[in-house]
Amino acid sequence: MTSTLKKPRHKKALLMPLFFVEGQVAVGVELIGQVVSMWFKTMGYIIRGDFDKKEAWRQSYMIGVKSFTVVAITALCTGFAMSLQISRELVLFGADTAIGGVVSLALVREIGPITAGVMVAGRVGSSVAAELATMVITEQIDALKVMRVDPIRFLVVPRYIAGLTMTLVLSVYAMAIGLLAGIYIASIAANLPAATFLDSVHQTILDRDFVTHFIKSEINATIIVMFSCAIGLHTRGGAEDVGIATTRTIVWTMTLIFVFNYIVTSLTYAPR
Amino acid sequence: MAMPPMLEIVNLQKSFGNREILKGISFKVYKGEMLGLIGPSGCGKSTILKLICDLLTPDGGEVIRWSDEIGLVFQGSALLNSYTVRENLALALNQRKLKKSDENKIIDDKLKLVGLAGYADAYPSQLSGGQQKRTSFARAIVNDPKIILYDEPTTGLDPVMSTVIEDYMLELSGQLDAASIVVTHQYSTWTRCASRILLMHAGKAVWEGSAEEAVVTENPYMKQFAHATREGPMLSGLL
Ligand SMILES: Nc1ncnc2c1ncn2[C@@H]1O[C@H](COP(=O)(O)OP(=O)(O)O)[C@@H](O)[C@H]1O
Ligand SMILES: [Mg+2]
Repeated sequence: MTSTLKKPRHKKALLMPLFFVEGQVAVGVELIGQVVSMWFKTMGYIIRGDFDKKEAWRQSYMIGVKSFTVVAITALCTGFAMSLQISRELVLFGADTAIGGVVSLALVREIGPITAGVMVAGRVGSSVAAELATMVITEQIDALKVMRVDPIRFLVVPRYIAGLTMTLVLSVYAMAIGLLAGIYIASIAANLPAATFLDSVHQTILDRDFVTHFIKSEINATIIVMFSCAIGLHTRGGAEDVGIATTRTIVWTMTLIFVFNYIVTSLTYAPR
Repeated sequence: MAMPPMLEIVNLQKSFGNREILKGISFKVYKGEMLGLIGPSGCGKSTILKLICDLLTPDGGEVIRWSDEIGLVFQGSALLNSYTVRENLALALNQRKLKKSDENKIIDDKLKLVGLAGYADAYPSQLSGGQQKRTSFARAIVNDPKIILYDEPTTGLDPVMSTVIEDYMLELSGQLDAASIVVTHQYSTWTRCASRILLMHAGKAVWEGSAEEAVVTENPYMKQFAHATREGPMLSGLL
């Protein structure tokens, strides 16, 4: 009796992680569907020019202000750290004139967009998800619908426009700050003059590296705004679900930023 | 009544998942009257209001409206936090593409009607509970709706503020000669405001009549609800 009871239970317990994964996949597919449909609707409004310019400005300002400090600090510290590591190694090989090139390549192609994306996801994505989820559970979204205001036009479109423009602005800032940090550390650690550093940057960085950088920034903005809005607007329930929506947004956006970063790198990578 | 109704609910059904909330409910609301929709918490009153406003789609039955202009007063006011009182009301006018001066005139008129002239530039968080409720009244009536729905307008307010809100409901619905529905638990609200009462229980209408009849009827459901007793058919098995 006991053995016949135990066996299936044991089996079920082993399969538990699979059931969990199956549930996660279904939820994930549903979310991606919501994001894609929301993106098309949003683009429809943007292409028709049918959006509130004042609100887009307001959102740009909020995103810029919220993100500037965190992006600046992370850019500064990555610039310091990269330059310190690379200076030490290259000085060993007597290749100090290449320091600027290597530091800037890493910053422009990979580390810059990733760190800025992750910081904006943490700062802006989470707050957008919390804001919209709160609007759902306090029936503000229902109120908009009763007034025949489309939440996508009213809430998502201005945030997306703001996200696209502000990540560009922020990424230029981040590049500049990272580079200055690199120059400073190289001059201390490797005694390298700023002019030599910049000369090396100039020789190494190509236009297509900036293009890659901007593509990555805009993809990050799309991931951050679309996932935070979709998760926020599809929240149901009560106050505790706002917290769940925020966490979910962070997990999805940060993971996808790394995934798409690699996809873009592999597509734009070309041997010199 | 000889007049045609403004709003007709026919055999409305709605389930959430496998929980059947509305099991075929029908009623009519006429111009100039206020129907008191009462019943225990969770019996589907708000769901009916949302079905009337197209916020939900019914699984069966239908909602027939003789006017597309509907005002819904949400239970929690549901004002947009990051917008001023004026901007909140302007949003409700967005479909009409009015000139700014005309829009402001309508907004100022409606705010005066609910005793909030001078609060146009305040944010909802700067208002008291009663003021927020009145702002949401003004927003609901900004387009002069012919159908007005109030979801628990006095729940959570003190008795004096409840009376103030009830007076505004009577005044606004009267001025617009609208067909109104008030969902409420509060005794004072349905006895004072409703010209007719519909009691719901377990997804169906179980009693209908005037407020005067409601407090004296021998119908076991209505009697239990009106006298707030434990003895009766409601919640049997749950107590
Ligand atoms: N969108 C929804 N999804 C799932 N269940 C819901 C939803 N809306 C309401 N319900 C459930 O339906 C029942 C009726 O809700 P409601 O109409 O709000 O009741 P009330 O009569 O108190 O206003 C409740 O048990 C509620 O939990
Ligand atoms: Mg309710």
